[in-house]
Amino acid sequence: MNAFVRSDQAAPEDGIKAGEVMLRVENVSLAFGGVRAITDVSFDILKGEIRAIIGPNGAGKTSMLNVINGFYHPQEGEIWFRGVKRSNMKPHQIAHQGIARTFQNIALFKGMSTLDNIMTGRLTMMRRNMLWQALWTGPAEAEEIRHREFVERIIDFLEIQHIRKMPVGRLPYGLQKRVELGRALAAEPQLLLLDEPMAGMNLEEKEDMSRFILDVNSQFGTTIALIEHDMSVVMDLSDRVVVLDYGKKIGDGTPDEVCRDQTVIDAYLGVSHD
Amino acid sequence: MFYRETGEFKTSYKADQATFPIRFEFFVFWTVVVLAFAVVPFFINDYWEKAVFIPFFVYALGAIGLNILTGYCGQVSLGTGGFMAVGAYACYKLMTGLDIYIPMGFDDTGTMAYHTILLPPLNIVWCVLLGGVITAIVGMLFGLPSLRIKGFYLAVATLAAQFFLVWLFNKVPYFYNYSATGQITATETTLFGFAITGPNAAPVATYLFCLSFLFLFAWIARNLVRGRIGRSWMAIRDMDIAAEIIGVNPLMTKLSAFAVSSFYIGMAGALFFAVWHGAAEPTEAFSINQSFLVLFMIIIGGLGSIVGSLIGAAFMVLLPVLFKNIFVGAFGWPTDLSEYLQLMLVGALIIVFLIAEPHGIAALWRTTKEKLRMWPFPH
Repeated sequence: MNAFVRSDQAAPEDGIKAGEVMLRVENVSLAFGGVRAITDVSFDILKGEIRAIIGPNGAGKTSMLNVINGFYHPQEGEIWFRGVKRSNMKPHQIAHQGIARTFQNIALFKGMSTLDNIMTGRLTMMRRNMLWQALWTGPAEAEEIRHREFVERIIDFLEIQHIRKMPVGRLPYGLQKRVELGRALAAEPQLLLLDEPMAGMNLEEKEDMSRFILDVNSQFGTTIALIEHDMSVVMDLSDRVVVLDYGKKIGDGTPDEVCRDQTVIDAYLGVSHD
Repeated sequence: MFYRETGEFKTSYKADQATFPIRFEFFVFWTVVVLAFAVVPFFINDYWEKAVFIPFFVYALGAIGLNILTGYCGQVSLGTGGFMAVGAYACYKLMTGLDIYIPMGFDDTGTMAYHTILLPPLNIVWCVLLGGVITAIVGMLFGLPSLRIKGFYLAVATLAAQFFLVWLFNKVPYFYNYSATGQITATETTLFGFAITGPNAAPVATYLFCLSFLFLFAWIARNLVRGRIGRSWMAIRDMDIAAEIIGVNPLMTKLSAFAVSSFYIGMAGALFFAVWHGAAEPTEAFSINQSFLVLFMIIIGGLGSIVGSLIGAAFMVLLPVLFKNIFVGAFGWPTDLSEYLQLMLVGALIIVFLIAEPHGIAALWRTTKEKLRMWPFPH
């Protein structure tokens, strides 16, 4: 699908090649009052890979994503994105840097159509000011149509043409998840964070979603970090896995390595402490 | 054929995202516009102007303004009356010649010395537009709390704006040019030689003046809400956290909604005072009742819809006229009875709409259109 090329307004590539470090999390600790959500966690995400973050409930996976996209500011530790240490930024500034995400509980704009929802993913790339917008005819309309063309390609890619004009509030759960992925893709992210993209789906929907994730990764070279509970999905999709438990990193490596790791098995299956 | 979406095929994105994608709708709209601009002016009289058209145009502008803030951006405001007052007083100061005093420090006797700038009275078009701009600035100031507080609490904060602004225009004589009554009265202004405000204004002139404002700015509002800015507003309305994650700056987006909304409401206030009533006194004209009236318009007409604002304004303006003509005129009932009936009906309608269809008449219309798409087949 070479039609899905980057538009001229995409964030410029900055010389990171596949296999180099895209994002590095260094000794990050995050606490809410006395609760330590994340303790001294370090890992990296390489360009072009699918990196899974797994762990039992309450392990700090979603907190980790929230740290990466700037929703939480860790008390300690550093985050390096594309070779630059990141200062404390607001989430919308981080979105402009090229990090997009989806949410565990669907966070679509319920009052808007599928098309409008995905168009919001292009907001960071639209430039025309309010006066041009008010006039509409001319540059604002041209810009709108240019982005509409891109969004239509995403709609084709995700096979949701038939619900283009439907308000997303009325769509079934699986399709809503797909629209949310579409919205994140519309931003042409360097790094895509997926928070349980398959939660609550049936087998068929899971297979569809897995296919889309693999296609996004292989066809557009998007780096993906995903949280998932379904182990078979994680093992099949991901290149490398980082395992969290009680906010600490207890495993890091390829799916096979992680699977055989005794600490990981203990964390998942429990271990007797007698 | 008759009115429905089925059978309308679009071959370009431009055509697909047109304001009136259905051909029938397109023709109806332009017919109404041509009628309004070219036919009605020949038949208009004083009653229709003062009781129906001008109120509709003024409130439609105000309703579009409030709908941008509340319906599109999700920020509840009860300060509409106050912001209309800002527009009205700004318009008054500009049409009588704005006087600006810049403090230059104290002179030898210890009194404050001022550098005075006197602007000549401006053209009425500028008065209304700049009235809107000044209201936009005031609106942004009162919109600042929206970054921290939401929903009910924001409504209370805007309520404070309502009472503060009315108090301000009552208490500070500068705003009413030290007139003995505390009232502001529109001076006579002309456009192309026709009187627009003042006692000599002809119904045709005021009608066309207000209609042009409504037509132009309804069109602009429609353009704003369908593009980048409108989507940012709606994103903030529907889910502010997700909006921020995809790159919407909440501060800029909320403030721009407050600015644009207040601009419209300010213009409505300016027209309300200068063209419609010709005189105003803040406690009566711009009371909290105005805020509620405009809020009811967008609830009944449809939150998040420009057409809905127009429908709601038409409904709330025409209803009293209708009641008066039917119950008082035709049946000979007492006026107060007809007014109570009207209050009861409006109250009941608001409850019904809030429960059954929070997006108002505009949404009912949309649903009808969807049903018609397949009709007469079930699916």
